[in-house]
Amino acid sequence: MKLDWRRSILYVTTIGMGGCWLYTIITLLNKQVADEHLSTIGLLLLYPLAFGINKLLRQLQWHEIYLRAISWLVWVIGMLLVLKIQLFGGLGWSDSTWLLALPQAMGQIFYTFRPELLILVSTAVMWWLGRRLAYQRMNFVTSVSEFQFGLVILLITFVTISLLRIDLANSVPVILTFFLFALLGISIAHAQEGTSWLSGINQGHWAGLLLVSISLILILGLLISSLVTPDLLQLVVAALKWVWGMILGFIMKVMAFIASLFPAPESAELPPVVPMPEPEPSPGYHAFTIPEAVQNGLRIGWTTLMAGFLIFALWRISSQVFSWLRRKLAGMAGAEYESLPGAFRADFLGLLKRILTRLLRLRLSLRLGRHPSSLLSEIASVRQIYRQLLHWVAAGGYPRQTSQTPHEYLYTLVDLLPEAHVDLDFITRQYVSARYGASLPTEDELHNLRQSWHRIKRTRFKKRGSEHTQEQEGGLNG
Amino acid sequence: MDKVVKGVDLEISPVMEAADRFITNVGKVIVGKKDPIELVLVALLCEGHVLIEDVPGIGKTMLAKATAESLGCTFKRIQSTPDLLPSDITGIHYFNQKTAEFEFRPGPVMTNILLVDEINRATPRTQSCLLECMQEQQVTVDLETLPLPRPFLVIATQNPVELEGTFPLPEAQLDRFLLRVKLGYPTEDEERTILSRFRQENPLDNLTSVVEAKELLELQKLCRQVYIEDSVCQYVVAITRATRTYQGIELGASPRASLGLHLASQALAAIRGRNYVLPDDVKYLAVPALAHRLIAKTETRLRGHSLEDIVNEVVSTVPVPVEE
Repeated sequence: MKLDWRRSILYVTTIGMGGCWLYTIITLLNKQVADEHLSTIGLLLLYPLAFGINKLLRQLQWHEIYLRAISWLVWVIGMLLVLKIQLFGGLGWSDSTWLLALPQAMGQIFYTFRPELLILVSTAVMWWLGRRLAYQRMNFVTSVSEFQFGLVILLITFVTISLLRIDLANSVPVILTFFLFALLGISIAHAQEGTSWLSGINQGHWAGLLLVSISLILILGLLISSLVTPDLLQLVVAALKWVWGMILGFIMKVMAFIASLFPAPESAELPPVVPMPEPEPSPGYHAFTIPEAVQNGLRIGWTTLMAGFLIFALWRISSQVFSWLRRKLAGMAGAEYESLPGAFRADFLGLLKRILTRLLRLRLSLRLGRHPSSLLSEIASVRQIYRQLLHWVAAGGYPRQTSQTPHEYLYTLVDLLPEAHVDLDFITRQYVSARYGASLPTEDELHNLRQSWHRIKRTRFKKRGSEHTQEQEGGLNG
Repeated sequence: MDKVVKGVDLEISPVMEAADRFITNVGKVIVGKKDPIELVLVALLCEGHVLIEDVPGIGKTMLAKATAESLGCTFKRIQSTPDLLPSDITGIHYFNQKTAEFEFRPGPVMTNILLVDEINRATPRTQSCLLECMQEQQVTVDLETLPLPRPFLVIATQNPVELEGTFPLPEAQLDRFLLRVKLGYPTEDEERTILSRFRQENPLDNLTSVVEAKELLELQKLCRQVYIEDSVCQYVVAITRATRTYQGIELGASPRASLGLHLASQALAAIRGRNYVLPDDVKYLAVPALAHRLIAKTETRLRGHSLEDIVNEVVSTVPVPVEE
């Protein structure tokens, strides 16, 4: 029962974090697109609603396609209701004007972004987020990833707001609320995995400790709110803008330097312009012109491609900087650091993994005629833990040979960590069963698996009779 | 654990129980050779044929006979000699003077278990008459094609050392054997046990069948349903393909070898009580399933590298599908 409460709170905190950054974006778009005619809170309500409805739908043991269809049908109804209430409250339900407004707005998408489209896009995004959350397993990694993603979105939004010189009210309370939810969610998720002060002997007083932690967070929040003033935020934003300007200036200088390397074209006397005779229109001949819609499509495609390249380049640069920082941290004597599996790289990899998983699910659904969506996440968890074990041991200098099977590698592992042989054996067995046998671990087995992994991380490597602790003990968090 | 994929929720205990009975039963005659017995059973469970190869006196024929005795199937034996004719195996149409008609007298091939002892002593012509039987489970005599009873399994033995008066098996013939099993010398303790066990009587005489033909067919069907994950399947293919590009090999393993390794891995997994195949199963079976199908280059042979060494080397170069 306690576990269910924790999970419910984790869902609430995740919805809260999502709600904060969604609120900021929608408020910004509301200002720009709809002159604040839309109710942001009214739109945001769709997010928890989507979560609740999809959670309920998930209880039904129906085929995935039906569940998906019902879910998106409910979204269409919800979206139309929001559209009617928010933009066409004065019109009667029988008046078809409000129904036609949406297709009309879509027809003008290349020229103007109307509030109807904002409702369409924002409700679709929120519905998708709510649905995704309903199918997601909440754990420490998810909480941290949600926090990191939300933080990045908030930063981007605030920088955009600053650049557009828009005055956004409630920014400080939104940030504080975001951090409140984030801290609460992360601490509870950490406790759930049995690695924090909320677990172990304190587990019996869990509710009390939770209240204390909430109180502490609130007090800290108040303290922070007294320190973090709009001026301070402006200062931070100004600093970020300055850094961005510096980077941009540097890039421009590099571009100018590269351009200077190319020889300038020689100026030549142009021949006098001879007026061209007017072509005689031939009957039945029409000049080939690309339709405007295609041109717009190509423009969007080109912009997306360029934006993709830019993001990829930025990611490469930032990942190099972060890996350099990690190396520096690892080199510090006696220092322990914890690399959280978040950040852009992990998120990007997570996105690719999700796409692959979806394809796999689709294939399995076609092959088996059943819905294994929730099953695969558990298998993925087992595989993730084994992957972390491999990375951890490899970082200690004992990587698996590519031709070694998990059972063969188990001998190496037991030689290295003899006192953890029971846990190593358990993890290997679970992994082999999940990986090659497509077997779904139970909740208890997953819990035990995490416990085993945490115990292994605390053990020392044995090497030629002597023992040494791995440098980054606990480096890869489960 | 719940199961996600069809085949993984397969109830595999009948195979395991039958395997246990079979290994115990054959173990009454063959002392301390659990692995070769298990390999023979693997071949039986995937309708493959077995070539038992080793030096004389190791117990090849004994293993073949004990296997046949343990199965409640019809059993025939052919002692291969240079003057053995194909019709001695397949059967013959003879003229019955009483009825004044040609009648077909089936050969020993019309059985469930066919033991071909010292197969390399038969001429290539006679050896070749088994090709159709082994691959297609049918025999053609005088333009008449007859189906063989099911299950149909050939257990052949050969002595690799003695070459005088023998005819090496052609590649096409070798490729039709799913596994090549080697027994090896027993340990000192095992040899003592053999002496004490065979002192009074031959334990083969008291052997009873523990798996019936119908049951064997059911078990074969069950083994084919054992789940093999895509990456493991790919691993099988990768190993087979690697033998074709390996420097020291003149002729690599065929697609039939891939299929054989795949099926054998499923059977081994079932025998060991698993309803899914592990890369360990594939690795374990690589040598018995592939080595006899390869032809080593002359220089490789001159360097003293055996085909088993080569297969092991090839396997050590193929990455196992595990998390990165």
